[in-house]
Amino acid sequence: MLAKGVKRPRGEMEGGDPEPRDPSAAPASSLFNISMVKLHQSLRHVEPNLRHLVLVANTLRRMQDQMQREAGGPMAPDSPEAPSVGDDLLLSAMDSSISTILEDLGQVEVLSPARPEEEQPLAGASGARQEPARTSAPCLGPLELLSSASYLLEDSLEDIFEDIDTSMYDCDLWSPTSLSGFKAFSGAEDSDSKALAGAEDRLDMSDLDYLMDVLVGGHPPGAHRGRSIS
Amino acid sequence: MTFTSPQKIVLEVLYLKTNKNWSDIISTVEFNHTGELLATGDKGGRVVIFQREPESKNEPYNQGEYNVYSTFQSHEPEFDYLKSLEIEEKINKIKWLPQQNAAHSLLSTNDKTIKLWKVTERDKRPEGYNLKDEEGKLKDLSTVTSLQVPVLKPMDLMVEVTPRRIFANGHTYHVNSISVNSDCETYMSADDLRINLWHLAITDRSFNIVDIKPANMEDLTEVITASEFHPHHCNLFVYSSSKGSLRLCDMRASALCDKHSKLFEEPEDPSNRSFFSEIISSVSDVKFSHSGRYMLTRDYLTVKVWDLNMETKPIETYQVHDYLRSKLCSLYENDCIFDKFECAWNGSDSVIMTGAYNNFFRMFDRNTKRDVTLEASRESSKPRAILKPRRVCVGGKRRKDDISVDSLDFTKKILHTAWHPTENIIAIAATNNLYIFQDKVNSEMH
Repeated sequence: MLAKGVKRPRGEMEGGDPEPRDPSAAPASSLFNISMVKLHQSLRHVEPNLRHLVLVANTLRRMQDQMQREAGGPMAPDSPEAPSVGDDLLLSAMDSSISTILEDLGQVEVLSPARPEEEQPLAGASGARQEPARTSAPCLGPLELLSSASYLLEDSLEDIFEDIDTSMYDCDLWSPTSLSGFKAFSGAEDSDSKALAGAEDRLDMSDLDYLMDVLVGGHPPGAHRGRSIS
Repeated sequence: MTFTSPQKIVLEVLYLKTNKNWSDIISTVEFNHTGELLATGDKGGRVVIFQREPESKNEPYNQGEYNVYSTFQSHEPEFDYLKSLEIEEKINKIKWLPQQNAAHSLLSTNDKTIKLWKVTERDKRPEGYNLKDEEGKLKDLSTVTSLQVPVLKPMDLMVEVTPRRIFANGHTYHVNSISVNSDCETYMSADDLRINLWHLAITDRSFNIVDIKPANMEDLTEVITASEFHPHHCNLFVYSSSKGSLRLCDMRASALCDKHSKLFEEPEDPSNRSFFSEIISSVSDVKFSHSGRYMLTRDYLTVKVWDLNMETKPIETYQVHDYLRSKLCSLYENDCIFDKFECAWNGSDSVIMTGAYNNFFRMFDRNTKRDVTLEASRESSKPRAILKPRRVCVGGKRRKDDISVDSLDFTKKILHTAWHPTENIIAIAATNNLYIFQDKVNSEMH
């Protein structure tokens, strides 16, 4: 996941405590992380708690508006709050994520008997829209689409970075596991719980800092081109 | 938070029932219209009805206690084969019907199915049949020499509960509220996106009266959180939303009440704006006053009283636990910010009550503007013990027995509370414990 390249002293990060004294000072990126985790956890249920889902989605949209407003303002590229390539990707990915998630929910209802007077031949319509079912129950609409999409993306991830000369960066940054969070914001919702759930799987901020430095500072064209694919 | 004393209502512990089973987490509490019966529903689909013992003539000041009257399994877990999903048996709401004969009736609902239960007493049985003997075996007819008329003899009281109606397949989403109409013939059930109107005698169809599902689900930004019929006007009902608005609808206006008659909404306070503004404004409960003139709403940090004649803002706002405002981030992370607290009026609409964390509950006197924080805990709840007011300190000078904000237990939440319709008796559900408190000093309404 590409969060904003906020440099923080190591001591501060070690606390690992997303709870700030003042809610308005909470780093938007960590709140964003938390919210995306909640969204995905919500969607893991066949019938998500709609109120929870809607409130989290609306909160994410608020953060998106905020980040867009910040991105629109004139700022020095080196400042910690500077918008970066990552932000734009984040925003556009988030936008499509939320819309797709909610749209998929509409499919869930289409597949279930809504009201007694609403009996419709739905199987055909829903079947056409869905990816080949990975589970026996056809009504796991949103979950299915999520897992199908990420399955496809996983295969193509290697292809995307094939032509990039990464010999200068002999590190693990480009391996699929490090970028497992990136998958989530590449236009597809990732239901892979390993990517987002659990503190132990949180992306290493120092790795991301390095990555952002590479992108925002001097960087070879190859890496930049690879980065902009999403 | 201000602490005032002495309190108008001094509560003593009347009853405490503890369930050890995890599935006995109480999920709803409701007095019937006379207050004689108290029903609780739990996570395991069970309903327990308590009955108040009649006052003893020997001790007129010793108010009747509540004892278990009947227990029955209302809902069982179900499996929806189409969606491969288990439907929880947890009872979301219970509502009593006004009593029309010797039997009592109540509606209970889980996420999907509403059931009408009839509660009857049997305290007599016929004895002296001609063809059967006392054990029910057929008699040898040659031994029957004369005819007798069976007579009713008293027997130990037996309470029978039978399901009379099952209202199924009305809801795609999760049912969050039910409300019986003042006409005593219809009731409504609300889920996240729709409200249905049912006739109590008809189970195979219902009328959809509110539908806020957008044409494209990706446009979904708001859900229904609670709804209730007006206590006197059978054509009026209100429903609340996750965005903090209330909509009063008139069923005479049109069949589908998507257009509200009145919209009650308070504009967002710009000085308190944060990422969580919408979440904390989400209304978790709405209750009409007994008079029908006001509505009471609960959102995450406040309870508000609205006048039906004024849509622009509430007439009264009470802070339940404003000290949580600086903790919203962590409450969001641990999902506590999504807790749905209920609220209640007393019989005369002069005092309102709601639950909070750490097994605290709060009462606000609308006339004197006094408020009190009390705790429902086993330690302080010996029978007849007087409840001591509690205080949460937010730093600064700390008095003895104060609780600091940081030591509040957020797993102990009082979501469900109920107030006796006419007397100062309250029922508090604290996880799997039920507390019943009564006013020691003054049991009548003031």
